[in-house]
Amino acid sequence: MIFYEIKKVFSKSMSKIALLVLGAALVIVSILTINNLEYIEYADGQKHVFTGIAAANKLRDAKNQWAGYLTEDVLAKVIEENNKVNSSKESQSDDFNENDKAYAEKQGFSSILDLISRAFSEYGDYDYYRADSITAQEAKGLYRQRISSLEAYLETEEKQFSDAEGDFMKKQYQALDTPFYYEYEDNWKALLQNISTFLLILALAIGFFVSGIFSDEFQLKADSIFFSSRLGRNRAVLAKIAAGFLIATGLYALFTFLYTFIVLLLLGAGGSGCPIQIDMWDSCYNLTYLQAYFLIVAGGYIGTLFSSMLAMIVSAKTHSTVIAIIVPFALLCLFPFLSRIITLPGLCSLFPDQLLELYIHLKHSVTFSIGGTIRTSVPVLLSAYLLLCAALPPALYCIYRRTEIK
Amino acid sequence: MELELQQLTKSFGHFTAVNHMNLTMSNGVYGLLGVNGAGKTTLMRMLCTLLRPTSGSISCNGKDIFKMDGEYRRLLGYLPQDFGFYPEFTVQDYLLYIASIKGIRPAAARKKVQELLPQVGLAKASKKKMKKLSGGMKRRAGIAQAMLNNPKILILDEPTAGLDPNERIRFRNLISELSEDRLVLLSTHIVSDIEYIANQIWLMKDGTLIQEGTAREVIASMPEKVWSCRIEHSQVSDAMRRYKISNMKSEPQGAMLRIIAEKIPYPGAVCTEPSLEDVFLYYFGEKVGEEA
Ligand SMILES: Nc1ncnc2c1ncn2[C@@H]1O[C@H](COP(=O)(O)OP(=O)(O)OP(=O)(O)O)[C@@H](O)[C@H]1O
Ligand SMILES: [Mg+2]
Repeated sequence: MIFYEIKKVFSKSMSKIALLVLGAALVIVSILTINNLEYIEYADGQKHVFTGIAAANKLRDAKNQWAGYLTEDVLAKVIEENNKVNSSKESQSDDFNENDKAYAEKQGFSSILDLISRAFSEYGDYDYYRADSITAQEAKGLYRQRISSLEAYLETEEKQFSDAEGDFMKKQYQALDTPFYYEYEDNWKALLQNISTFLLILALAIGFFVSGIFSDEFQLKADSIFFSSRLGRNRAVLAKIAAGFLIATGLYALFTFLYTFIVLLLLGAGGSGCPIQIDMWDSCYNLTYLQAYFLIVAGGYIGTLFSSMLAMIVSAKTHSTVIAIIVPFALLCLFPFLSRIITLPGLCSLFPDQLLELYIHLKHSVTFSIGGTIRTSVPVLLSAYLLLCAALPPALYCIYRRTEIK
Repeated sequence: MELELQQLTKSFGHFTAVNHMNLTMSNGVYGLLGVNGAGKTTLMRMLCTLLRPTSGSISCNGKDIFKMDGEYRRLLGYLPQDFGFYPEFTVQDYLLYIASIKGIRPAAARKKVQELLPQVGLAKASKKKMKKLSGGMKRRAGIAQAMLNNPKILILDEPTAGLDPNERIRFRNLISELSEDRLVLLSTHIVSDIEYIANQIWLMKDGTLIQEGTAREVIASMPEKVWSCRIEHSQVSDAMRRYKISNMKSEPQGAMLRIIAEKIPYPGAVCTEPSLEDVFLYYFGEKVGEEA
């Protein structure tokens, strides 16, 4: 039964078009992701800019010379190296191109330099050149500085957190494992920064596949035979729900895997164990890249399931495939669009579209106080929508099985 | 197998499509005859649990069919009047899918499909996509789907509508063949179809049964007589106003009429044997469903 339901979906020409669109999106977003990486090299006085796979290889070679734990000694050494480059004649020159040559020398440790700049800038602020005025001795206090700049921020007037939230943040900052493990991680950075776009396209496309499962019976006038068959008001309905679930899950898993596989195959897979703070300095989530990746993918999955289930409910209720297709768009695109025009209340950070934006939640920690305890938005979003997703299939079942053919 | 309708009523808003019907059916072929809008489809939909009655009940061997739910539908085969298919499915896939939602195991379903395809004359078309079938072939696929679970109750809503005369006769024979040991209810507004296959005829009008019985009983129930006569062309419009005319044929010497009337309508008219068609006209007051 489930087999034929799935076959029905994939035999539709609209599904075939949606598959093609997904394939194209996969290629395009992969290319965009890979081209995020850039490496500059000077050879024979000529500037060469590498992007994509070539940049990945060069960056990996340059950065992995610094691979390992970022201990006090390493941090001090980075500052020394930086000072050495800064005092070179290229760096001192007034010529922009010469400066660029100096920058090229820093590419191996620029990420570590960034960390130092962020740590010694004010909280939430970022002075790109801050590391240039830090001594090797000061740099050793990087991890302490991260906590104290948060503390300093919490003392100020413009702080965005309540006292309880501030305490919570401080605890999270203190709990972060130091020293950081560091290696080439531009691959993961690019992956996490771009995956949300792909997941959103995926969620919308999956809406096209599932939105006809229930309404097509009416549109094709196959409803009388369906509902007058023995299992038409019980197991056959369950089979439809199962088919929708399997299609959403299967397509999501397949395309997420393909995207991840392509990006990591081309850019390399190393760096998964680095803390996300290398990319998201202010994050209060103490996670590695790999863990953050799984959270983002889980968020996208739950978001996809939620919008698909809702689309199927609308499909069962209105008997219209077109209205059902609109549901994922309304859910996942309308709110973000509206929020650009008008300021929506704080509750908006709990709308379903946010499930596909967990990267932003990880980066700019959003916290709530629920029943006296402070919660971060990511687990709240994941668990709340997981529960909602579990509640929707029974509702769908009840709606569809009661259908009358008039 | 016994189906019993008690005070069965279905209203859509203020309009009552089926009005307090009381009926009992057991094995045999029942022909439901009525004009457009008489309520045939509405009645059949209720019998297939697709529509809930506004009031009254339907029971199968004493049990309410809506309470029996799947247990009742297990006995049921239904060919709707106006229905569609999954256009990209082959005939075989379509039948296997319907078999699965009828709860037939895959192995048994494959066997049954192989058995039914030649019976309905679709053996050669089994790999054809549904969207490429002709109207007649679609109806054959429809009857095959209804027969998959070897139903004890077979409900056919206008099974012969839209078929060419050859196809109609073949289809009629197919239905007769399939109707053994079952309760078959079929609706039509084509009188000759019913005459051939139904043991029991029901005339339905405005949601109620107005006459029932075998063809002979129904014919005998007509209180008026059928007269055959020839009149002048100039008299035709007058005759049409005064009498129910079941047939008229224009000839050079005048019009040959078949008139339903209590007393002799014109001098020289001959009293003839009434047919079911005359009865239909008598009860429904107009000529309906003239077909090739
Ligand atoms: N869903 C509905 N809403 C309102 N009225 C309806 C509905 N379905 C049927 N009707 C009305 O009920 C009456 C009976 O319709 P039904 O389809 O049962 O007639 P029928 O005997 O099958 O006619 P036909 O020979 O044309 O198929 C019609 O007047 C129709 O307009
Ligand atoms: Mg009808």
